Amino acid sequence: MGLEQYKGDVAMCCRCSACKFIPMQMVQGFQYANVCPSIAKYNYHSYSGGGRLNIAAVMLENGFNYTDRLLDIVYNCQMCGACGVSCNYAMDMEVLEPINEFRIKCVEDGKTNPALDKVIAGLRKQGTMVPGAKGKRADWAAGLKLKDATKEKVDVFYHVGCLTSYNKDMWKLARATVKILQKAGVDFGIGYENETCCGGRAHQMGYKEDFLNQAEKNMDMLKKAGVKTLVTSCADGYQAFKVLYDKYNLKGDLEVFHITEYIDKLIKDGKIKLNKKVNLNVTYHDPCHLGRLGEPWIHWKGKKIPGEKFVFDPPKEYRRGTNGVYEPPRDILDGIPGIKLTEMVRIKEYAWCCGAGGGVNESNPEFALWTAKERIEEAESTGAEAIVTACPWCEKTFNEAIKESGSDLKVYDIVEIVEKAI
Amino acid sequence: MALSKEVYKEFEDVVGEENICNDPAIMPSYYSTELSAVILPKNTAEVQAIVKLCNKHRLQFRAECTGWTFMMPGMVSQDFIYLDLRRMNRIIEINEKNMYAVVEPYVVSAQLQAELFKRGLNFCIKGAGSNTSALLRGHGHLDQTTSGDDRNHLALEWVTPEGEIVRSGSLGSSDEWFCGDGPGPSLRCILNSVVPPGTTPGIFTKTATKLYHWPGPARYPIVGKSPKYALSEVPPNMMVRYFSFPSAEKMYQAERKIGESEISYVLMGFNASMVSSNITTSNEEDFAILEQFLKEVQGPGFLVIIAGNSREDFEYKKRVLQHIVSEADGKSLEKVEDPEIEGILLCQCTRISASIRETFRAGGIFTSIPIMGQRDLCLRWSVGAGKAKEPLIEKGLIVDDGAAFFGWGVEQGHLGKTEIFCRYDPLNPEAKKAVEEWFQEQTARAFNENYFAMLMGLQADEVGPALSNYHIWWKKFKEAIDPNGVSPEVGTLA
Repeated sequence: MGLEQYKGDVAMCCRCSACKFIPMQMVQGFQYANVCPSIAKYNYHSYSGGGRLNIAAVMLENGFNYTDRLLDIVYNCQMCGACGVSCNYAMDMEVLEPINEFRIKCVEDGKTNPALDKVIAGLRKQGTMVPGAKGKRADWAAGLKLKDATKEKVDVFYHVGCLTSYNKDMWKLARATVKILQKAGVDFGIGYENETCCGGRAHQMGYKEDFLNQAEKNMDMLKKAGVKTLVTSCADGYQAFKVLYDKYNLKGDLEVFHITEYIDKLIKDGKIKLNKKVNLNVTYHDPCHLGRLGEPWIHWKGKKIPGEKFVFDPPKEYRRGTNGVYEPPRDILDGIPGIKLTEMVRIKEYAWCCGAGGGVNESNPEFALWTAKERIEEAESTGAEAIVTACPWCEKTFNEAIKESGSDLKVYDIVEIVEKAI
Repeated sequence: MALSKEVYKEFEDVVGEENICNDPAIMPSYYSTELSAVILPKNTAEVQAIVKLCNKHRLQFRAECTGWTFMMPGMVSQDFIYLDLRRMNRIIEINEKNMYAVVEPYVVSAQLQAELFKRGLNFCIKGAGSNTSALLRGHGHLDQTTSGDDRNHLALEWVTPEGEIVRSGSLGSSDEWFCGDGPGPSLRCILNSVVPPGTTPGIFTKTATKLYHWPGPARYPIVGKSPKYALSEVPPNMMVRYFSFPSAEKMYQAERKIGESEISYVLMGFNASMVSSNITTSNEEDFAILEQFLKEVQGPGFLVIIAGNSREDFEYKKRVLQHIVSEADGKSLEKVEDPEIEGILLCQCTRISASIRETFRAGGIFTSIPIMGQRDLCLRWSVGAGKAKEPLIEKGLIVDDGAAFFGWGVEQGHLGKTEIFCRYDPLNPEAKKAVEEWFQEQTARAFNENYFAMLMGLQADEVGPALSNYHIWWKKFKEAIDPNGVSPEVGTLA
């Protein structure tokens, strides 16, 4: 069905512009009212969530007229889903799904972005979304003597993710995660060279077939290894395993945890204690794919009830960003002695994106950086010394933005803070 | 009509390459596939230069802020130069002492209001919602306290259809924004569009708007996640209630007395359907709650927000409210007395953050007849207009809202806003046709039966002779200020 299935949804856009801003009652002043990086940067209404739906509505009716500008609109979007949250505060309609389907259609029609093609070529060749990845996926684990979860039975499969595995600057996150899991006495292992990309980023970029290939490979590997529980410290990976695999009926009964959820559970079960003082004033950045896009997939099949109302049989429940992972990271930070958490204006379901998503990191690094700089400025406005996040992609982009802007702000993944506290 | 390369280059030289586009890909988001170009000016000088080029090349232009009204039938055309004013988004000044704020077109109301709340101030936000421009004039939930329409604009900066910059009121003689009428040129009757067709040709680039006292908190204590934001507690000395009445007459009696006693911060004549839309997070929930409400309400009603400046003031206002409502046989809607629901409505109806739920969510689109006038007269008309909705409801062409209308008094007086709309599926041509017919019939009835005259739209030639031939004067004025006919008569301020 693809984009066609959302014909009714895209026609529902009333062009109210809510998709450009955080939900109206959460606006706290002139600053930090924007929620969509794309419209904030490019200004034409076409770059907003609503504008994208308006284009889809007309093209579904009149045919697809691909121009360079259209592709510029399509690919200059982090697929962060913030537009959908703001829209769905008031409206019953799908927003991000048709935007993603529009991209998938572009790829199917051969209207791709060369930079993203290159990333996908790397994925097909090396099984990773990190272009030009060198070395082996598990080089970071050298000397740690971790179990190979594909060869021996473990309670928990730790899926490390592409960026953490192949970017040496991010190895510290995997090692911190290992230290935490070991400290808690968790029986876990990694996939070593059998681990492959989750495919989530490929899906955001519109390469649905490549995503499905990766998903099938992963699930085959996990099933063969008898894995029941998967933990990942990558927000993209979390959303892929938990939400996208479920959407395409590939997840089965695999239990998926983000590391923040798992640490929170370990703390509440008394397996680890955060008893070392970490004197730091921090603010917390909600990664899009852990927060609003990390809420469970809702399976639904039905039809619009003919008539005047936009209602369905059976009733349709929308994913509005309500049930993302927001509290576990905050509970963890709150539990660390010495940590003072000050919130930014744009948080949780209406958090501003780090800029890296949707392939923008590769297709338009300048835009990714511009978006990250805005977040760094917002973080600085809280008076925090550091911005804490829970995704390596966010950490990488923030570090690049800080380097360019000359900010003194520090960036940490939450596992680094927990590592200091245990 | 496509612009020649040379003409395109002239516009491009004004705003830069990035800020002009005529690619067909962007046009659907501006509701037309045949616009000549979309241009994003940054300041008044650029707006002026664009308008002058439009005159030079006899190109029609239209400007928009957030673009909300562009869904309205008849507002969309082609071959226009579109000025999307998104880059003009500064709050120029908040003058606490003299109680006014100066804004550019793309400051949204939620931004200005949030800044004002911190200073114990508020302003008139249009009922369409706080996602619309703070520069716009209009009416809304806060009208009892903040008035509406032309009453709130002070000095203005206006680029005329020929590209002159006019600074009205005090701005015309000094650098001050405090007054719309002088010292300096007033032009109030023209610039604020009390005269038909309800909008002024040209482009407003900055306006000063009046500010009012805000007795509520600097920031609401909001808890929960979208789409259900609630308040951790209802702030002190604030209260929300919904009352229904046995008849429109009884309702108006209570409305007028509440106005006379100056006790309400908000008096919003919601119908039951609008209350249920506000407090629910999906269509299914909305229709289920509405069914309950329709069994409970006696007839038409209104939502009241009391905001005391002290505990004593609050207690006094509550007692007066109780007395007035009781005299008019009003009945409180129980659900609104639930502190959680009360908090939701308090926040939404002072921050004007849920209008989209009331209007678009149920069907996808709505067509409205909004009237400013004598409330009791308009109410009598709207009872009939509501009756006329019933056959459309029975046929399943429009959403069943109990055939309701809504409205409220402005400035605690007998004048006010009365409105009635039909919500329907934009993909259903039969519904669209039926609603258009209802619109035509009810506006014609209003004129023929001496209730009011719809001055906007195509009826000017019909109603003009009955109203001092205003349409002839307007036409002459329009020709004088727009000799090249480049600024069309609808939708300048969107």
